[in-house]
Amino acid sequence: MSANSTNRQKTNTFQLLAPGVVWMILFLVAPIMMIVYVSFWTQTTFAINSTLTLDSWRNFFSSDAYVGALWTTIRLWLIVLTLTFVIGYPAALFVGLLVKSKTVATVLLVLCVIPFWTSFLIRVLAWRPMLGREGAINILLQKAGIIDSPIEVLLFSELSVIIGMTQIYVVFMVGPIAFMLGRIDRNIIEAARDLGAGFGRIFWKIIFPLSLPGVVVGAIFVSVMVLGEFATSGALSGRKVNLLGNIIVTQVGTLKWAMASVAGVILTVLLGIVVAGFLRIVDLKREI
Amino acid sequence: MTRSDPIFQLDGVTRSYGPLVALDHIDFTAENNSYVALLGPSGSGKTSLLRVIAGFEKPDSGRIWFQGRDITDLPAHERGIGFVFQNFALFPHLTIFENVAFGLRNGPVKVTEAEIKDRVRANIEMVGLSGLEDRSPDQISGGQKQRVALARSLVMQPKLVLLDEPLGALDANLRERMQTELRAIRERLDVTFLHVTGSETEALAMGDKVAVLDQGRIIQYGTPDVIYDSPSSSDVALFLNRYNLFDGTLQNGTFKGSFGAVPVPAARANDKDIYAVRYDRTQIFDAGTTALPGPALPVRFLASEYLGSSIIFLFETADHKTVEVDHHLSFGEPREMTVGQDYILSWDPAKAIVFGKEMAR
Repeated sequence: MSANSTNRQKTNTFQLLAPGVVWMILFLVAPIMMIVYVSFWTQTTFAINSTLTLDSWRNFFSSDAYVGALWTTIRLWLIVLTLTFVIGYPAALFVGLLVKSKTVATVLLVLCVIPFWTSFLIRVLAWRPMLGREGAINILLQKAGIIDSPIEVLLFSELSVIIGMTQIYVVFMVGPIAFMLGRIDRNIIEAARDLGAGFGRIFWKIIFPLSLPGVVVGAIFVSVMVLGEFATSGALSGRKVNLLGNIIVTQVGTLKWAMASVAGVILTVLLGIVVAGFLRIVDLKREI
Repeated sequence: MTRSDPIFQLDGVTRSYGPLVALDHIDFTAENNSYVALLGPSGSGKTSLLRVIAGFEKPDSGRIWFQGRDITDLPAHERGIGFVFQNFALFPHLTIFENVAFGLRNGPVKVTEAEIKDRVRANIEMVGLSGLEDRSPDQISGGQKQRVALARSLVMQPKLVLLDEPLGALDANLRERMQTELRAIRERLDVTFLHVTGSETEALAMGDKVAVLDQGRIIQYGTPDVIYDSPSSSDVALFLNRYNLFDGTLQNGTFKGSFGAVPVPAARANDKDIYAVRYDRTQIFDAGTTALPGPALPVRFLASEYLGSSIIFLFETADHKTVEVDHHLSFGEPREMTVGQDYILSWDPAKAIVFGKEMAR
């Protein structure tokens, strides 16, 4: 009887899991294995064959351009991550904790999402008339007499890529943090005040630790998206900033599948390390 | 300070939320080193009053004095008044030890690590939680959380601790044990507890003094036996939940109600005419009995409720008012009664309390 019901449970579990598992194997695991496999294929100028070789890997790590793209990716990721945190946390603190009415908080969060009502590419391209040589910022600064000649470095530079990415991804930092802050019991903060702690103490000892899971989730969102970026850097850097994503796009465009795969594998490993690292900071299982 | 000195004093404290007046010109004085219970129905302003004393909210007008000092404009973290929240409000990411140590580590006074350790351990031991120092708040029971919340406040050695319905979240069994323990812990320390509750039994059992709060005003303040035996107004009698209250009219020393006209030698000022008889001072007689100790109230028997040491009988009058009679079983077996049958209730008129409008004039 009991063995029977355990068996039935096992069958049920299997049946419930099967569609998801099959789907993931077909469309996630298999393609990843394939990319790893292809990265060892032999690439000639116009063709590729499945003779295994380490040539593509050697080429990647001996090329300053490719290794440089890897470091640029990591550097821009760290800068954008820091900026989204520095800009996003105070905003989240305001929306999630200081705004007392839940309705107002929801309205503010929806306002944060309004840029998403238009397409990704439009959002990126909209920065051109903003940052350009004769763009809004330069015109305003000149009219105000703060600068004499337009600031060239605003557009088609690393700076414009950083500005663009930060604007696009900061909301993914604000959302999870505001959510965690909104869940903090107000009585806990009052209890801390009652025990004699001032605002700074309460923030560092109570509010920040309790919002940490939100910071980690936000950081994972931002990291995953920024590390895989190619469109913003393509559109706002004038091809001066090459990220791993741009390398993959170019290599695929010229049918260099093996090299694209090498870059893809490196990017995937990098993402895996970053996400695993963030998950070590907090035990997300406790929060769900 | 001796016991009779006031530990804190409210001087015309008023607080409104929009059109709603939560605290209406409250004057109140609490003795040092005593247990004060604040009884009030929900919405009477109990929690607002505690929050104003703690400094989480500012009064619109009026002053608050604590240990002879005006603290009205002092922020909460500089007041040194303990607060125990109804939901305990423990810090979920800290261990029990760190919860209790929080005020010592982050408070206004620098305390050495060794002293923190000593004081935290002593307080955890006092509330009977030794051995649980390294647990996190989600690994302990409701009663234990209550003790941690208490220890967390007491470790700061406050002179006044505000308890917001501290037993409300506990089950009945635990509530009774914590009642005894709260009193015992307070007596060991030189501290005043201001305990807010909606339960009249809790207020009467715990308080050295009981304050009754209604619609933002304190309508009676006294020892539990005075409150219980001679409520100052019909509202107090109503909250005590131990009195049958009858409407009627009081005129020239006679109260006319559903039980006829009764001569009233003395009455208390009130905003309406009410005749009050305690549940346990109301007696039951068969319909038609003429030898009664006082007025006769014809009723129909509805139901009885067995409470262990006593039985509550529920009756209904002709005008559909429910009347309760409390029969203590130590006074002998209760009489047999048939549901739906008519009986007569009577009482000694000298034991009744009458409230009248004309006294207010």
